Amino acid sequence: MISLEFLVASAIGVLVAGGIYLSLRGRTFQVVLGLTLFSYAVNLFLFASGRLVVGRAPIWSKSVSEYADPLPQALVLTAIVITFGMTALAVILMLRSFLETGSDQVDGAPSDEPEDEAS
Amino acid sequence: MNLALDLAPHLAIAPIVIPALAAPLALLVMRRRRRLGIAISFVSCFAMLAAALALMVQAGDGVIRTYELGGWEAPFGILLVTDRLAAIMLLLAAVLALLALLHAVVTGADRDGWHFHPLLQFQLLGLNGAFLTGDLFNLFVFFEVLLIASYGLMVHGQGSARLKAGVQYVVVNIIGSSLFLIALGLLYSLTGTLNMAQMGLRIAAIGPDDQWLLRVAALLLASVFALKAALVPLHLWLPRTYAVATPAVAALFAIMTKVGVYSLIRVVPQVLGDDAGSAAWAPAPYLLPAAILTAVVGFAGVFVARRLSEQAAYAIIGSTGTLLIAVAAWQVDTLGAALYYLVHSTLAGAALFLIADVVARRRASFSDTVSSGPAFCQRQSVGLLFLVAAIATVGLPPLSGFIGKLLIMESVAGTPGWGWAWAAILLTTLAGVIGFARAGSAIFWKEGPVSDGAEPVHVSRSDMAAPAIALLLVAALAAAAGPATAYGSAAAAQVLDAAATARAVLGEG
Amino acid sequence: MPISLTLFTLAGLPFVAALLIALCADRGRAIHSGIAALASAIGLALTLSLAGQVLAGEEVAVLAAWVPAIGLDFSLMMDPLGLMFAGLILGIGLLVMIFGHYYLAKGEATGRFFASLMLFQGSMLGIVLSGNVLLLLVFWELTSLSSFLLIGFWRDKPEARQGARMALAITGGGGLVLIAGMILLGVVAGSFDLMTILQSADVVQASPLYPVILGLILIGCFTKSAQFPFHFWLPHAMAAPTPVSAYLHSATMVKAGVFLLARLWPVLAGTELYTVVVSSVGLFTMLFGAWVALFRHDLKAILAYSTISQLGLLVMLLGFSLEAAAVAAVLHVLNHAAFKAALFMTAGIVDHEAGTRDIRLLGGLAKVMPVTALVGTLAALAMAGIPPLGGFISKEMMLYEALNVSLFGLPWLVPVVATIAATLSVGYSLRFAAYLFFGQPRDADAHARAHDPGAGMLAAPVVLVSLAVLLGLTPMLLAGTVVSSVAGAVTGAPAPELELSLWHGFNLALGMSALAILVGALLLWRHAALLRRYAAMRHADAKALFERAMRVADLAVRKAVVAVHRPSLQRMVFAVFAVVVLLVVEGTGSGGGLTGPRELLPAPPVAIVAWLLLVAATIAVLVEERQRFRALIYISVIGLVIALAFVHFSAPDLALTQISVEVVTILLLLLSLNLLPKLPRLLSSPTRRLRDGVLAALGGLGVGGAAWAMLTRNPNDPISSFHLDNSYSGGGGTNVVNVTLVDFRAFDTMGEIIVLGIAGIVIYALLDTTSRGAAGARLRSWQEDMPHSPESHPVMFVMSTRILLPLVLVAGIFIFLRGHNEPGGGFIAGLIVAIAFLLQYLASGFDWTDSRRRIGEHILIGFGVLIAVFTGLGSLLFGANFLSTAFDYFTLPLVGEFELATALLFDLGVFSVVLGAVMLALAQLSHIAKRAARAHAAHEAELRETEA
Repeated sequence: MISLEFLVASAIGVLVAGGIYLSLRGRTFQVVLGLTLFSYAVNLFLFASGRLVVGRAPIWSKSVSEYADPLPQALVLTAIVITFGMTALAVILMLRSFLETGSDQVDGAPSDEPEDEAS
Repeated sequence: MNLALDLAPHLAIAPIVIPALAAPLALLVMRRRRRLGIAISFVSCFAMLAAALALMVQAGDGVIRTYELGGWEAPFGILLVTDRLAAIMLLLAAVLALLALLHAVVTGADRDGWHFHPLLQFQLLGLNGAFLTGDLFNLFVFFEVLLIASYGLMVHGQGSARLKAGVQYVVVNIIGSSLFLIALGLLYSLTGTLNMAQMGLRIAAIGPDDQWLLRVAALLLASVFALKAALVPLHLWLPRTYAVATPAVAALFAIMTKVGVYSLIRVVPQVLGDDAGSAAWAPAPYLLPAAILTAVVGFAGVFVARRLSEQAAYAIIGSTGTLLIAVAAWQVDTLGAALYYLVHSTLAGAALFLIADVVARRRASFSDTVSSGPAFCQRQSVGLLFLVAAIATVGLPPLSGFIGKLLIMESVAGTPGWGWAWAAILLTTLAGVIGFARAGSAIFWKEGPVSDGAEPVHVSRSDMAAPAIALLLVAALAAAAGPATAYGSAAAAQVLDAAATARAVLGEG
Repeated sequence: MPISLTLFTLAGLPFVAALLIALCADRGRAIHSGIAALASAIGLALTLSLAGQVLAGEEVAVLAAWVPAIGLDFSLMMDPLGLMFAGLILGIGLLVMIFGHYYLAKGEATGRFFASLMLFQGSMLGIVLSGNVLLLLVFWELTSLSSFLLIGFWRDKPEARQGARMALAITGGGGLVLIAGMILLGVVAGSFDLMTILQSADVVQASPLYPVILGLILIGCFTKSAQFPFHFWLPHAMAAPTPVSAYLHSATMVKAGVFLLARLWPVLAGTELYTVVVSSVGLFTMLFGAWVALFRHDLKAILAYSTISQLGLLVMLLGFSLEAAAVAAVLHVLNHAAFKAALFMTAGIVDHEAGTRDIRLLGGLAKVMPVTALVGTLAALAMAGIPPLGGFISKEMMLYEALNVSLFGLPWLVPVVATIAATLSVGYSLRFAAYLFFGQPRDADAHARAHDPGAGMLAAPVVLVSLAVLLGLTPMLLAGTVVSSVAGAVTGAPAPELELSLWHGFNLALGMSALAILVGALLLWRHAALLRRYAAMRHADAKALFERAMRVADLAVRKAVVAVHRPSLQRMVFAVFAVVVLLVVEGTGSGGGLTGPRELLPAPPVAIVAWLLLVAATIAVLVEERQRFRALIYISVIGLVIALAFVHFSAPDLALTQISVEVVTILLLLLSLNLLPKLPRLLSSPTRRLRDGVLAALGGLGVGGAAWAMLTRNPNDPISSFHLDNSYSGGGGTNVVNVTLVDFRAFDTMGEIIVLGIAGIVIYALLDTTSRGAAGARLRSWQEDMPHSPESHPVMFVMSTRILLPLVLVAGIFIFLRGHNEPGGGFIAGLIVAIAFLLQYLASGFDWTDSRRRIGEHILIGFGVLIAVFTGLGSLLFGANFLSTAFDYFTLPLVGEFELATALLFDLGVFSVVLGAVMLALAQLSHIAKRAARAHAAHEAELRETEA
């Protein structure tokens, strides 16, 4: 029998692998995609630290006694927002650097722009 | 209800609230009324300085104070912990901020792009928060604040070199942050808490079946901090980032690697102390070799650098390595030495970056390259500044660098691998001496041909103020080495006594 | 004046003087030299005022704590040894200052010169007065630094710069080694206080570390005192102005090594190892220096090598570890200081007056500069050790002692070599005098130019040389007491009875020196032939070797550093992941199984389908990385699946957030992709892809495995139970997640929105400049290459969005208000409203929307943060802590019963920042292309105008 835990864990693994692989590529856009995948995985992982609970949303009511752990959810929410800010900035920076230098390479290949002058 | 406002008990929050107010205010007024914005920035920095001093005096009595945000008791809410270590770091940050701010305003660097002052304030908000918090996730949040602000400052002034270096800096740090989150998830799932003190206590009780998870989490966390501290081989991002950043910003960044070191000092004894089973002092075995390597690589860079800014960047790496050599032993006196050297190396590094700028501003096309150009204005005084900064950085007498290195060498004597540590420190010092001597004699002594019609640039002396002040502080640190080292080792003792901190935080017996 | 004050003044005076001179650097030469000379004179007077007590054996010391943590105290003491050296430093210093005043031309930077000289004087004085070995180190390195400045005084001369750097590298480096030695010594002896150390010989010499300590300290001494093989910096230090050479390289700095040997004699000397190493090094250096000196042509080079030789002599004598040898050493220190300084000054005068220092161009100067000739000749004879001059006595004693020492079991070795060295020194001394002052002038105009300088310039050498003479004629009267008590201080034994005189009766030593003089004279006679022989030999040029070593090291290291720090993001990222993976692998080694006890949840088919979808999408992103648009679609699929997962695992807030963030992120990527190349060439090689693939797989396994391990284990009673219990009672909300965000952990949220706000303003700062410079140019040439609907703003789209806007706003407000109890809250509301506005931008274009926008994003962000912070501060008014909340209940139509919590106010800040930041990012971005197009058009128009 396949368990939800297995699905989540393996999904995290797949996303991490994909994220690492893409973030090791030579152009900024791929790197950003990699970071996005990686951050998905990380958010899932952090969420998973509260374990998996089905149908017990942490909305307090007198009747219910068992809830999913709300703390990881709060943390993940914060993490998602922060990650969004970071990603947005990374995307714009990448775009900006491409527009400035005409190259979206990040592999430091000699075809790169001259490094030295810091305007 | 009683509206009598007594601020004394809220001193701990001041270093966070002050910039949190100053930054948006500066942001709002900046676009129309620049001077007012600058004024806000300065006022805020001085206020932070005052708060830091007050906290330093307060913490001097050895009592560990806590501040529960939202009034939620530990470990359920977030709380700030003010001890000697926090006070030292806060003071350092405030001083550095003032220097960077002064230099930026004097040289007009703050006008090279949008939002310098708000970003500076946000950066400080992040730093101060990181130094104060006693909650691991909150530490992550403040890491992000100081990082994203640093992204903004790093590309301040823009230009292709900065933007390209910026991309690398951002990506590497985003990865670091993600790893931080993974470590956090593991630790929470194992201990069910985020409060560092309680985490330390609960880790001691973790069963044998979970030991490997624990150690993995510990090593992840440590490597994240090592990445921030630019520990070899996780240092590759630093040289270009710092070398191309606006000098005033680079000077401020001198404290960024120290944030990583601070986190190690704060978290390892508290969370991964003696009782932490498989994770007890987890990073320790790797720290010394890496630190030695870092010192060597850094000063190798100083030895061969072709620009002063590049040289300063490598000096930052090298000094962090030296610093971590002391940290790696995890004893009171070594850690005390480390804290003294931490303060010194931050100030000296900042001074170097500022002086590189002072030189570049006077040498037109020659900029701060290690090459002989035509004589430039105030060559004597600039040369003197450089000499003093070099002496401070490599750790020759009579400045605090020398005392710091003596402290480190004496304190690590007898600890495992101290022979290597000594050799590394002496060797790197020599490499630094030769490197700086070459750079200095090329720039300040040798007269190059007056080529490409580079007419002498005339700059007012005012831009020497910030570096001069930094060096005066270094001298003061040497003169007052007695009390300084005393406070440092007291802070070290406090940090290493995790049990006492836990009692203070969780209020148990 | 109390002793303590005297000592402090003595130590501080030179530095004060240096500072004063530096402060009035732009004043005249007389001011500078005046201050320097005055300071030296006062110092000398102070020293003499202490002489009585010191020689009487009273303790003259003072201590002020500096860094107790490392036992570094500011402790000064003056014993006979210190007294003698202080006298030399200040006495000769005074003479050098006077000489220097006349030597330097008016135009030169005399301020810098004398300031550096005083700096050096202070450091040197510090060395000999230190009562704490760490303090001694401080001054030791300071002498290296100040001599660096002095040797490099004539900055425009390359040899000056190189000489200075080399001296710094060697002596400074040696100093570093010395530091290691001294710390070890102090650690072993248990204190850094000099007196304590001197009394702990037994402990130190018994310690296994003794050889190490000795080796390190000796390297320090030998580098400073130019002993072979560290001698080569000294000849190149001659690039310094002659007064400097007379001061540093004859009387003082090079003697620092000798001083330290003497100083540490009680604790280090006496062992077999010490005797063998020190005496043989000294012996060889003495021989080597003398031999080379014989064949130099530059006056100062001759003097430099003779100094090396004489220092060798001193080192050897101290190496003998014999009291009588110590006496000889002490006496010779005085002699050498006197005649060598005089000789340097002579060389300086000749250089000054005749315009050259090349001995081959000089000669017969006795006729034109008789006084100088007299001075120089007497000094040279003293150096040669010809009776009745001072040099004779000390050399005689040296030879006598040499007879009592057998090295390597060869009793004849030391005497023979010593005699040879003595012979050579006679040779070069006589040559110096003879070639310079007698015989026929070799170069007419140099000879014509030359004449005796003014009395001012002659005064110093005259004084010195008379001392050299008197030391021979009336040694007991002049030096007797000093020498004996100094020798006592060196050996740590009571001052020896001694009797200094020219005549000791017939003995072997007398014979040896007679032989030396005879053969030395012979050497002079046959010099030409010898010189040819010497020239025929090959000689290693130490300087060239050093410079080459430096260059090679520089290139090699540079290459390595550059190679390692290539600006490759891939390398950086790889390093990070590689390190982490390795550490994780290491960590997994330490105990515990993979799967935990927790009972698992069965997976419904839909979950499996979702999983397959996610995996497929991920793989698609990987394989189609070049198809950038498709990649975006796959990404959004992944995000959607994750959102669903959140829903399924009872995290509605997360699901909402995930979805709305997803939308914005994808929009952002779309807009930026609009400006990026769509089908880029792939870069990395197959091998690299394989390598990365392996690393990625490992990483995936690691994190996935950790997740599995985590999910299959039971929680360790998390603190969140408290949050669940107190959410409603304490936080006033039923949505525990939201209450956690705005109350329990509102501090996090404050940080979070600040991050977002910063992102917004940084993005603005980045994009605002896009239309300028290189980027601007690139944008102007950029062509829209995305499929577009023919009309710029499709009517349906426009109308729908405009109708939609108010509705969305209402929805936003609703979600915002219920957030505290139901899923929702400021963040999500902010995103939704932002998206609504964004649709306006996309549909109706930037200008239409912009013109209808009331408040700028910066204001939104600024006020958002302010609101949040002030909400937090509000609680201070009620004596509560920062960010404490209060709440009460109200009813409102439509929304129904809800409560107003201060947390809600806080959430308003969140809302405002989120809205502002997202708008800034997306609006700016979406506008770039349009601005670019506009700029393009404007550019065209300009061109047309210029044509017209």
